[in-house]
Amino acid sequence: MIDSGIDRRDFLKVLGWSGAAVALSGCGNTSVEDGKETVVSYVEANDYMIPGIGVYYNSTCAQCDAGCSINGRVREGRVLKLEGNPDSGINKGKLCGLGQAGVQHHYNPDRVREPILRNGNKGETITWDKAYALIAEKLTGVKGEEIAFLSGGVSGHLKALLGNYLESIGTKNHFVYEALAPVGVRAANLKSYGVALPRYRLDKAKVVLSFGADFLGSWISPVHFSQQYAQFRKGMDGQRGVLIQVESKMSLTGANADRWLVVKPGTEGVLALGIINALGTTSGEIAELVKPYDHAHVTKETGVSASQIDKIAALLKLRSPSLILAGSAVEGYAHGAQNAAAINLLNHVLGNVGKTIEAPSNVPFPQLAPIVGSTASLKSLNDGLVAGQYKVLFNFAANPVFTAPGAFKFKDNMAKVGFKVAFAHYMDETAMQADLVLPLDSALEDWGTQVPEYLADGMQLNIQQPLMEKLHANTRSMGDILLTLLKQRRADEYKNFEDYYAYLRGSLLQNKGALGAGGSDDDNFWNEALTRGVLKISSSSATLADKAATSGLQLPKAETADAKFPMHFIPGVTASLRDGRHANQPWLQESPDPLTTIVWDSWVEIHPKKALELGIVDGDVVEVTSKSGSIKAQAYLFPGIHPDAVSVPLGRGHEAMGRYAKGYGVNPFGILDAIFDKETGELALHETRVSIKKTGARVLIVKDEGAAGGMQMGRRIALRKTTDQVDLSEEV
Amino acid sequence: MSVSNLLENWSQFRHTHPVDDKPHDPYKWAMSIDLDACTGCNACSIACYAENNIPVVGKERFQHGQQMHWMRIERYWDEDGREFADQGAQFLPMMCQQCEAAPCETVCPVAATNHTADGLNSQVYNRCVGSRYCSANCPFKVRYFNWYDYPTDDAVWPAEMSQQLNPDVTVRSKGVMEKCTFCVQRLTAAKSVAKSEGRIVREGEVQTACQQSCPTGAISFGNLVNPESRVHKQWQAQQVEIDKDKQTKDEKEEGSELRGYRIFEDMRPYPSVMYLERVRESAV
Amino acid sequence: MKDIREDIAWVKINQDVMKSLENPRKLYWVILFCAICAFGVGVSCEIYQYRTGMGVANLNNPQVWGLYIATFIFWIGMSHSGTLLSAILHLMHADWRKPIYRFAEAMTTFSLMTAGLFVLVHIGRLWQFYYSLPYPNERGIWPNFQSPLLWDAMAIFTYLSSSILFLFVGMIPDLAIARDNMADGWRRKLYTLLALGWEGTDRQWRNFRVTYLTIACFLIPLAVSVHSIVASDFAMSQAPGWHVTSFPPYFVAGALYSGCAAIITLFIILRYTFRFEEYMTKSILKKIVRLTFAIAMVWTYLNAVEFAAVWYSHDEASKAVLIQKATGTYAPFWWGMIFCGSVVPLVFAFERFQTNIPVLFATSLLLNLGMWLERWMIIAPTFSHGLYPWTWDHDQWPSMVQWGMVFGSFGWFTLLFMIFCKVFPSVSMYEVKEMVYHRTLHLKKSEAAEQGAH
Ligand SMILES: Nc1nc2c(c(=O)[nH]1)N[C@H]1C(S)=C(S)[C@@H](COP(=O)(O)OP(=O)(O)OC[C@H]3O[C@@H](n4cnc5c(=O)[nH]c(N)nc54)[C@H](O)[C@@H]3O)O[C@H]1N2
Ligand SMILES: Nc1nc2c(c(=O)[nH]1)N[C@H]1C(S)=C(S)[C@@H](COP(=O)(O)OP(=O)(O)OC[C@H]3O[C@@H](n4cnc5c(=O)[nH]c(N)nc54)[C@H](O)[C@@H]3O)O[C@H]1N2
Ligand code: SF4
Ligand code: SF4
Ligand code: SF4
Ligand code: SF4
Ligand code: SF4
Repeated sequence: MIDSGIDRRDFLKVLGWSGAAVALSGCGNTSVEDGKETVVSYVEANDYMIPGIGVYYNSTCAQCDAGCSINGRVREGRVLKLEGNPDSGINKGKLCGLGQAGVQHHYNPDRVREPILRNGNKGETITWDKAYALIAEKLTGVKGEEIAFLSGGVSGHLKALLGNYLESIGTKNHFVYEALAPVGVRAANLKSYGVALPRYRLDKAKVVLSFGADFLGSWISPVHFSQQYAQFRKGMDGQRGVLIQVESKMSLTGANADRWLVVKPGTEGVLALGIINALGTTSGEIAELVKPYDHAHVTKETGVSASQIDKIAALLKLRSPSLILAGSAVEGYAHGAQNAAAINLLNHVLGNVGKTIEAPSNVPFPQLAPIVGSTASLKSLNDGLVAGQYKVLFNFAANPVFTAPGAFKFKDNMAKVGFKVAFAHYMDETAMQADLVLPLDSALEDWGTQVPEYLADGMQLNIQQPLMEKLHANTRSMGDILLTLLKQRRADEYKNFEDYYAYLRGSLLQNKGALGAGGSDDDNFWNEALTRGVLKISSSSATLADKAATSGLQLPKAETADAKFPMHFIPGVTASLRDGRHANQPWLQESPDPLTTIVWDSWVEIHPKKALELGIVDGDVVEVTSKSGSIKAQAYLFPGIHPDAVSVPLGRGHEAMGRYAKGYGVNPFGILDAIFDKETGELALHETRVSIKKTGARVLIVKDEGAAGGMQMGRRIALRKTTDQVDLSEEV
Repeated sequence: MSVSNLLENWSQFRHTHPVDDKPHDPYKWAMSIDLDACTGCNACSIACYAENNIPVVGKERFQHGQQMHWMRIERYWDEDGREFADQGAQFLPMMCQQCEAAPCETVCPVAATNHTADGLNSQVYNRCVGSRYCSANCPFKVRYFNWYDYPTDDAVWPAEMSQQLNPDVTVRSKGVMEKCTFCVQRLTAAKSVAKSEGRIVREGEVQTACQQSCPTGAISFGNLVNPESRVHKQWQAQQVEIDKDKQTKDEKEEGSELRGYRIFEDMRPYPSVMYLERVRESAV
Repeated sequence: MKDIREDIAWVKINQDVMKSLENPRKLYWVILFCAICAFGVGVSCEIYQYRTGMGVANLNNPQVWGLYIATFIFWIGMSHSGTLLSAILHLMHADWRKPIYRFAEAMTTFSLMTAGLFVLVHIGRLWQFYYSLPYPNERGIWPNFQSPLLWDAMAIFTYLSSSILFLFVGMIPDLAIARDNMADGWRRKLYTLLALGWEGTDRQWRNFRVTYLTIACFLIPLAVSVHSIVASDFAMSQAPGWHVTSFPPYFVAGALYSGCAAIITLFIILRYTFRFEEYMTKSILKKIVRLTFAIAMVWTYLNAVEFAAVWYSHDEASKAVLIQKATGTYAPFWWGMIFCGSVVPLVFAFERFQTNIPVLFATSLLLNLGMWLERWMIIAPTFSHGLYPWTWDHDQWPSMVQWGMVFGSFGWFTLLFMIFCKVFPSVSMYEVKEMVYHRTLHLKKSEAAEQGAH
């Protein structure tokens, strides 16, 4: 699809890095007559622009951390559609809905377009020169310890530049925050497998027993896992893979399971130990550990019946190898990492480590390796803010005012900082609290490199390149901003880099050898890298351990319910909205939630039995109250949730950010209690307890599903068979 | 323009599809969707928005049932009154089934929706007067009417957003009906390339946008009359024939190991989309 | 009780009827004013909808049809009694038709014109409505002759033009009377023009009779076919609740029914406002009432046939729609239809109510309400509870824009009708004279017979 005859250099030059600005006029805004736009003659069109013909360029999806490679369709200088780049082992030509909505991030009408100096609620547009000068001025005389830099997870050259800048201003206070990061799972994996994230091979497993890992929806690398899942379902030798999902609130993955097992929230580890007990194949310390976990105990704790446990154990014995996954739903407790460790033990017992749990690749360049975020990191920043430790705060790629648990009171604490700079795409909740807001290029206008944390297909360096010219003259690449700020400090070292592009190109060319292209000509190498969109790099594998990590493994006894807050609160993570950073992309708002089919709003999932008990019907507005706050949303009766739990999806309830996000739904982050995992110190997302109360109001739920509520009413629409009725080996 | 012209063309204009004396040749576009692979992720639906300039109508209009998704993912639950959905949900991607004997076509007063030679149910926006009879008669309810003038609605495509619109696809104005086209713009382009090279479109050369994005590869699309095509092979393996209203599988429901079926086959719309039944493990 | 007094002088007939063109009671002006206001509401709603888009009607996918189509059928139905009855009764030499057929035919014409408006406000691209007409064009594009909607369009055009012709031809002798009795002015010019030089010669009368008879013969099958074709819009589709074989006769019965009910309503109004008590007698009213009762029972029977056929069929989806109608969101309206359509007309079975004007007025309005509900209940439940459960929508409710246009249509109809009655003789003078003459002949004959017996 990529026309190899295209002269890449010219393309890049035009994209703003040689100063030869050529305005490409897009359809719909021709203002030739009044001289606002330049007419481009198609007779002398630039060779990257073929009138009427779409051309494709590869880049990297920036909508989540999975690092899928995108293939952007560009016509008449405008990017139209994002497709998957078949050359990337991560997504092999496929792209999820969230990824595709990247174009709506780029063309978003609510993007910040000018640097803004804010004073209370007033904002004043300033020039970049003034903005840079202001930063220099505000940093003068401020000690390193008094500066904090908050960012989301970063990798690649941007991470390197950021590190250099922090060093140049003498601060070690880099806080890396991701609201939904697999912190507990990483910790448990390190103990069990010796690596934080091994490669999971669903495609090699005959049974996948997943404890709350929504690998088809939002977990780690969903497009990659979905492809593996398809293969797993086709099976080997016509034997279709079996998926059992254990969780308290049904995820998209749970909805696709052969058996969805509801457990009492937080008892997933207990069930895992119960299964080990039922397998009866262990001896030594493991046998010792699981001894108390007999059927009676496990059934009482988890609510899963003895016969069900036996069935699972029998299946796992019969079909090997299997794959046991500990996902985000299990780590959200004060014993989250322990929960995950107990589950990981199953893989050890079943001998899956090394078969369906594989060693990941090492990242040969530690400078480019990702630094992963956590809420624990935000907590230490917040503690510092409470103590009044910081005079200057930078914020990039994080929106803590929206995503920090209500108990943090982050917004109030942030106000104590004298000078706050937000690098932002939107005027989101955090940017609204900043003193200086600096507008960023969209991911489709920017250069960059990226190393995904989960290297699904071996070591690869993802290349990000602009798919079109900048939409707004006064947005800047984060790389360029950092470079300019670095030049304020270390002009000499960086004087050779005219801009971030030059820095990036120079840096990659310098390491050509290490990138596996020692002999090739600079231009060829560079063009090849851009054309392919990924650099596959041979690297060693990490060493995988297969440890029976039993020492210190201790799962708490079920506690008695708090009379005031009797229900468990499960913040729902959906594939398209995640932590809410993309809520201003209308495709995502209007794309129905797969399970409830609700659009544009929040809801409270509640089991029909519980609802009956409380006299709640669909659409009743209920108030969900925790120690830290309360939210009101419409009830949705849902057969995929534990009766003692309610769930509200994350990502909606913005008070700022833009027209498609603001005012739609409620923000459950706001009612989360500050309870932490004892082992990792990470926020225990699922530990908040709530009470629910009818408010008396009732609304019409805005959803795709009609009045039949997902019933087929005797029509033969979506049909189903059991495995003993089909012969998949005969199929095409 | 003449009446004789009309009369001459009449038999051509409306004949039952499919017919033996007029087999689709060289193209018959068809699809098959494996419900066991589909996870309900919605990627296909969003791809369709992106490819086909589908307006996002907003909360209020969605509430009024005026959503425009050409591809919708339906989610069904078990209907046996179990306490928990412990066999999961069942997802079904639903879009225009490109019926060979399309109920929507016969009723349109102005012939704005038609059967094409390569077996598509085409929708001619310029001709549509907006009577909505076609939607009333579509058994699958996959036709979407432009209740408002979305192209001029600033909430739908504000200035920058409109730059994303695919120039290969019309932006529909108010008062016309629309629906999944099997991404006909892609088919046309592929056919044109093939024609200029004196051949027919090869298998894999053209993909619909939904198929292209689908992470599990649940959607296959291609030329049913090309024996090389995956769609052809799948239909054949499932013994589903386009011009039958009862397939092998229905004839011996009990013993059959086949999964392929078409929805509402007994109404004889002869859909061009074959679904493969979802499978559930019997051992757990 | 007599249909008409036999001793009314011909001159008096002329005077009485001509007076209706001059000074009706005050009520006339009140009605006219209300009609204009109601029509204004309808027009404003249409302007709003035209500019903003059909969405403001609060229709949706797949609930694509609403009150516009329901009310369209209602008005088409309403149109049936006038012309059809007039033609049948003419062929049957039923004398009592004579004082009332003129306004009944006018009613047909105007309700057809009202119905036509609903087609226009219903379609998404009003400005392209002519695509559905078979006109020769450069592009060689024709409408789809397979679509019942096209048959509909053609049937309605034919029926409208034939009805206008029938009304007009039947009026020619009266127009001549009006011409001869009117003082100079625009009206006289109009009557002169429309009377087509009518002199009342034998030859003219002979041609006139033949023409009138021919049109009457043509109109009867046409009218039956029109509503059968409207029924085909539904019966030819695959939608559950519509795919019913008995729909064409059911529609025709319903049409006659609502038409008769409307005749009763308008009879009472005209009788009062234009002081037609002499001509629109209670005896005639009684005959119409009895006819209406008979049709009501036919309609009730056909309803029962439909329900039974659905119930015993193997079509589960249709059955579900029927159950939904009786028990679902629309149940109050559906039962309202049964009540108004099948129970209320039982009033007509009682002799003492057959001439009780207030009771008849109220009842006739209820019957028409029932018939309007019938049409709505054909449309809405099939959409909200159709074949495809995923798209069921039981909350669909027409917006004020739809209601406004339904309301406005009554204004538009009343406006046209009232203007007609003020401008043209709404009682046929020449035929009433015939009627009086026939009665005197009859009287003389019976007197002679009586005398002979002595
Ligand atoms: N040899 C040869 N000569 C031919 C022909 C041929 O086939 N062969 N074809 C003939 C025919 S059919 C034609 S129509 C002519 C066409 O000849 P021209 O009318 O000269 O057409 P273009 O060469 O397209 O030039 C039009 C100019 O208008 C500018 N333009 C574009 N949009 C706007 C706008 O909105 N406002 C203004 N002010 N300017 C705008 C463009 O940049 C361009 O410079 O050529 C004729 N000459
Ligand atoms: N890309 C591009 N597209 C354009 C334009 C443009 O400038 N660029 N210009 C637009 C304009 S202004 C116009 S007028 C149109 C013109 O569009 P076309 O009418 O398509 O113009 P041509 O390609 O010049 O000629 C069409 C064909 O006619 C053939 N031909 C030549 N002489 C004869 C003859 O005597 N008899 C027959 N039967 N065939 C003959 C030629 O070989 C050629 O294949 O294109 C429009 N489209
Ligand atoms: S999973 Fe989706 S959002 Fe994340 S990188 Fe891949 S395509 Fe982008
Ligand atoms: S993209 Fe594929 S898996 Fe996802 S909903 Fe569509 S068909 Fe199903
Ligand atoms: S699915 Fe509906 S719209 Fe599509 S061809 Fe069939 S009847 Fe027509
Ligand atoms: S809405 Fe358009 S395509 Fe559908 S029947 Fe009416 S005119 Fe035909
Ligand atoms: S085939 Fe094309 S138009 Fe149809 S649903 Fe798929 S993407 Fe949409």
